[in-house]
Amino acid sequence: MISEPIRDLDHLEPTTGRIPLSAPDVRPLLGWIVPPLIALLIAAVAIEVWVRLAEVSVWVMPRPTGVIENFFSEFGRYFNEGLKTLGVSLGGLAIGTAAATLLAAGVAHSQVLERAVLPIAIMVKVTPVVALIPLFIIWFGHGWNPKIAIAALITYFPVLINAIAGFRDVDPRMHDYFRSVDASTWEIFRHLRLPAAVPYLFASLKISVTLSLIGAVVAEFFLSGQGGLGAVIWIEQNNLRLEQVFAAVLMLTLIGVTLSTAVVVAERLFSWRLDQPVTAS
Amino acid sequence: MTSSTNPSATATPLVIKHPIEPDAEPAVRLKDVRLTYETKQGALLDAVDPTSLTIRAGEFTALVGPSGCGKTSLLRMIAGLTPPSGGAVTIFGQTPKEAQHHKRLGLVFQEPALLAWRSVEDNVRLGLQLNPRETHSPTNVEELIEIVGLSGFERYRPAELSGGMQQRAALARALAIDPPLLLLDEPFAALDEITRELMRYELQRLWSVSHDPRDPPRSAVFVTHSVAEAVAIADRVLVMSPRPGRIIADIPITTPRPRQPEHEHSDRFINDTAIVRAALRSPTTAAVPLDAA
Repeated sequence: MISEPIRDLDHLEPTTGRIPLSAPDVRPLLGWIVPPLIALLIAAVAIEVWVRLAEVSVWVMPRPTGVIENFFSEFGRYFNEGLKTLGVSLGGLAIGTAAATLLAAGVAHSQVLERAVLPIAIMVKVTPVVALIPLFIIWFGHGWNPKIAIAALITYFPVLINAIAGFRDVDPRMHDYFRSVDASTWEIFRHLRLPAAVPYLFASLKISVTLSLIGAVVAEFFLSGQGGLGAVIWIEQNNLRLEQVFAAVLMLTLIGVTLSTAVVVAERLFSWRLDQPVTAS
Repeated sequence: MTSSTNPSATATPLVIKHPIEPDAEPAVRLKDVRLTYETKQGALLDAVDPTSLTIRAGEFTALVGPSGCGKTSLLRMIAGLTPPSGGAVTIFGQTPKEAQHHKRLGLVFQEPALLAWRSVEDNVRLGLQLNPRETHSPTNVEELIEIVGLSGFERYRPAELSGGMQQRAALARALAIDPPLLLLDEPFAALDEITRELMRYELQRLWSVSHDPRDPPRSAVFVTHSVAEAVAIADRVLVMSPRPGRIIADIPITTPRPRQPEHEHSDRFINDTAIVRAALRSPTTAAVPLDAA
């Protein structure tokens, strides 16, 4: 009497219903990593050859081998400064994301709030954040706070817009079902709107995680006293030490790749687990 | 009559009952209920003409009519999901809002509308977890899943099941709160013909399963496009006119229960479907006098 499932169910584990983690097949992964690495290598070799043959000044374009050498010889410095930049970036991301998600939850439930808040949010978004840094320095001093504020301000908008869309993207029949058992607004949010918004939140995190890094570096240009890779770049370009500038940029790239990968991994681990219900029996 | 499924220590055994109780509080009472929409241009559009109707406790009522005639609107007004423009709806003597609060309504839609991120079992449990103060006796979810034929699929997610299996899960979810009134909006419309024919008899069986013997026998309002489906499972078929919808015929189906698929080859079945079809074709004539409530 039971109709057969439409998909091949052999790969599933009936006890958990989750797709079991088999030994990872690294071939597809290599397919994604190897080609860009080869392209990068070719570009580096081409620059190396050009710099050497054309005898380009080290103050204009350093040799890639020189950059790599410097990166490893001063690795401790770049790592420590990178940690500061990462701290600012993550702090800003956390605050910006939390504020935007809370605001989006309110906006998703209230058209009045939407009409009141969204135009202001868009005004802040179209204002170049860099223009606000002097103000932030006055308000928050010269410590970490203005930098985190800049990173937060630059990250909040994509999260806000995506979260509003996600909280509203619920199946109307599902919403009807919740109403039919007199579920509270909180229950509808907790069990329907929030899990439905998870893909949207992760999509916005993928954008805002790199934006937060941009915000952190730009803020460090202005507030170089507390260090960070932005400060390193700023100071070293004033000294015309371009190998150091490139090495700091390389560390920023590694941080950016790590953060973006972390978001993708978190999305896979987290997206289906947000609505784990309390087992009633 | 007690079902043969495993009763557990924590849950009341399931009982099967489906007698219509004419003296009990009616499951649904509509008094001059109407629905008017306002279009974007500001014009008023009548979706449902004033309708009065009583559905008795234990009665399985099918609502048939052409597309856009207001069947779903009528069902949504009964469920308290669309406020009527006029008139009154009562569910076992309560307002629809009170009926929602006391979990007296079991809703099933055309699409299963399950939470994609929850397993079958957790979807079935959903109604018990929401508004938990109104969850009366512990429902044996495992037993319910077994009854709808989804044993072994408890931990699967909806996307891993066929359309028919998803709809069974949606039925189990509706039944988990043991509602005295099932409201079904074309629940099998998205299924293939073979599954659909199976499911109508599954529904007949599931409709009559209840946990609490003190409850009134379960009633059902079943919106469908299919005359055969309506005649196969209903005690009564209400035929609606094209928009603005109103009930133009009230046809009793007296075939005894439980009904079997073979019944669809009988003269009685063919005769009943012919009456319903005739009412649908001549929408100005009531085949049987309407309920005077």
